[in-house]
Amino acid sequence: MNDTVEIEVKRLGFYYSGGTHALKEISLPAYKNNVIALIGPSGCGKTTLLRCFNRMHDLYPGNRYEGEIIFKDRDILSKDIDLIDLRSRIGMVFQKPTPFPMSIFDNIAYGLKLRGVKTRTELSEHVEQALRHAALWDEVKDKLHSSAYALSGGQQQRLVIARALAVKPEVLLFDEPTSALDPISTAKIEELAVNLKREITIIIVTHNMQQAARISDWTGFLMLGELIEFDRTDKIFTNPSQKLTEDYITGRFG
Amino acid sequence: MPVLFKKNPIDVAFSIITGLASLSVLVFIIGILYVLFTESSPAIEKFGVMKFLTSTDWDPVRESFGAATSLYGTAVATAIALFIAIPVAIGIAVFITEISPDFLKSPIGIAIELLAAIPSIIYGMWGLFVLVPIMADYIEPALQSTLGNVPLIGILFEGTPMGIDLLTAGIILSIMIIPFTASISRDAFNLTPEIVKESAYALGATKWEVVKNVVIPYSKLGVFGGIVLSLGRALGETMAVAFVLGNNHQITTSLLDAAATITVTLANEFTEADSDIYLASLFYLALILFVLSFITLAIAKFFLLKAERKFSR
Amino acid sequence: MTRERKRKIESFIALSLSTLAALFGLFWLVFILGDVLIEGIEALSPALFLNDPVPPGVAGGGLRNAFVGQLMITFFATLIGVPVGVLGGTFLAEYARGSKVARVISVLSDIMVSVPSIVIGTFIYAILVKPVGHFSGWAGSAALAIIMIPVVLRTTEDMLSLVPWTLREAAFALGAPYYKVIIQVVYRGAAAGILTGILLSIARVAGETAPLLFTSFNNSYFSTNMNEPIASLTVSIFQYAMGPYDSWHAQAWAASLMITVFILMLTILGRVIIRWRYGKR
Repeated sequence: MNDTVEIEVKRLGFYYSGGTHALKEISLPAYKNNVIALIGPSGCGKTTLLRCFNRMHDLYPGNRYEGEIIFKDRDILSKDIDLIDLRSRIGMVFQKPTPFPMSIFDNIAYGLKLRGVKTRTELSEHVEQALRHAALWDEVKDKLHSSAYALSGGQQQRLVIARALAVKPEVLLFDEPTSALDPISTAKIEELAVNLKREITIIIVTHNMQQAARISDWTGFLMLGELIEFDRTDKIFTNPSQKLTEDYITGRFG
Repeated sequence: MPVLFKKNPIDVAFSIITGLASLSVLVFIIGILYVLFTESSPAIEKFGVMKFLTSTDWDPVRESFGAATSLYGTAVATAIALFIAIPVAIGIAVFITEISPDFLKSPIGIAIELLAAIPSIIYGMWGLFVLVPIMADYIEPALQSTLGNVPLIGILFEGTPMGIDLLTAGIILSIMIIPFTASISRDAFNLTPEIVKESAYALGATKWEVVKNVVIPYSKLGVFGGIVLSLGRALGETMAVAFVLGNNHQITTSLLDAAATITVTLANEFTEADSDIYLASLFYLALILFVLSFITLAIAKFFLLKAERKFSR
Repeated sequence: MTRERKRKIESFIALSLSTLAALFGLFWLVFILGDVLIEGIEALSPALFLNDPVPPGVAGGGLRNAFVGQLMITFFATLIGVPVGVLGGTFLAEYARGSKVARVISVLSDIMVSVPSIVIGTFIYAILVKPVGHFSGWAGSAALAIIMIPVVLRTTEDMLSLVPWTLREAAFALGAPYYKVIIQVVYRGAAAGILTGILLSIARVAGETAPLLFTSFNNSYFSTNMNEPIASLTVSIFQYAMGPYDSWHAQAWAASLMITVFILMLTILGRVIIRWRYGKR
């Protein structure tokens, strides 16, 4: 396993515009080419934390960060960070599939076009590569120009992953990516995540502890905006050092 | 689904009364069609359909009537209105949904809706007293000295700028339909799921790219329906244009000439019609306007329903 | 890097244009309302409400006849339009709920809401004015009622549909017949919404001019006889504004102010009721 630190979170705090103190003094390293899972009861701040990595909170006025998140030797929370550049290097996949109202091909090509890829051949090449990457190519290669809405939910979610992969991000954020999917589609996405870590770093928020145990290398357990424990996944699930973690893992509260 | 409660006699009576009340709408539509058709039949017999629609005559003395001048005025005034209103209304909708800080969204939305509630006669009168002099003294001379010299476009701005003309009427009409178009566009934009917008941002799209590539494609059915609805309203608007159009039955290329729309013709001449064929011709115009706007509004409704269904799935 | 710069500049320009569009829209609101307010207040005087019109050149004329006429025409239009609209909406949302007939009438009503009001004026002229040989207040009320009915009908239908079906079931379970359920339970649940619909429909017709031009026409004398031509504020505004006298123009502004204030108050009141009853939007 790789132990280069890709992203380092240092004493991160976060306040929503209403004043809610949603994250308190979070520090954790995200190792390169690993899958890092964030778990915890709902409302614990795991999604809030995830949305700090690509500064999604900046879409809504009044939100405030504290501390640092170091990525490529720079603090991505600093004011002079180019959010457009940041978001093309740290991609995100959401709870529900979010295809755009265009064809399958155009969905994947969207991020590339934003980045100035213009020629048809180059686009086609990248689109195919991304779809293969997301294990969707065989299912859609004959209908690339039909609407993305025609795909099933599971296929749409893989399409969205392919769309995120097409721009070659270094980190991919997953926000409960399988919460709206059936077990078979879920298995495919999980398999995909494990395969993808050869090339990128993955941070995944999940409410499903088995999922965290199955696919992640590291797990962080959050509660009430605090990081209770962060450790190797096998350690967290077999021998957690905190009583709270153990209670949560064994289902003593929820 | 509910069952008709036939057993209780009062229920039967109540259901019949309410049913008749709801049928009144149907009765009005059929009634309007029937009555307007009957009233205009002398003119239909005399002038036919195609001849009436294409004839530029409007001569009460020789009793020769045609709809072309009124149709032309209606078309041009409406076209000017939409030409200005569509981009502005979409801009307003983008501002309210994507740009404005939260604390301004509601006040601006309410302001726009209040603007839509102001009756058209106020727009018309304001246009006559305030806008007409501004147009005649400043805007129209300025247009003449600039665009007036451009080949091809130049003919649109010929003549003496008086302010009582198609351009002024089109502008007032546009001010009047902007709030309406904007509020429908805003409602359509608001149907775009937040999460889809976020995922475009997560790919590194700028705000404008999100609007252009996600929000507008997502809501295009609704926005289009709203535009057609505004078109339907503009076609039949009377008072906003009656003050500033001059009721001149001539087809001219210049936007700076007085003209007539169907509605303005009706408003000015209906009570003055002194012969049967004159009145019948006016009823004929009303019938044409009714059919025209009914079809336009039906098309708008079709698109709006389609947009609604897309999202309720 | 230059490409990203270009994208950001493009975004900035587009968003600035949108902001300008919003300012442009608000500019007209301020401009028009400001003018109506300034010119209107200047022309307001007790005489406007207390006196009837006098010949041009004679001082002290007012529009008492038009205020009274406007109120009467609107009142009787409401008296006809509201019951028909509410009952019709009840049929669509209750007895015919979900049926094809209900869908069709609902869509047709939506279309009727936007049909040119001047056409409705010509229709009423043909059936209520021409046969009797003279204009009348009743004809004006009838024209406005036809405009009101689809508005009231559609809001009633929507508001009744918002009342949860379980509420009706609870009343049925107590053995109530449907009409009692509707009147005692459903209407009560939807009262605020229906009231708002009525207020907005009154606001809608109070400013209508075109359908009155050939129905109630105009009358320079004070009259409360609905069988006769009767004055209205809107038609008076049209006549006075198009006329050549400054005193007429001043009165037209004052009348415009009164109508605008009345309509905006009804509209705001409707919104307040909706907000109070159904929460934000």
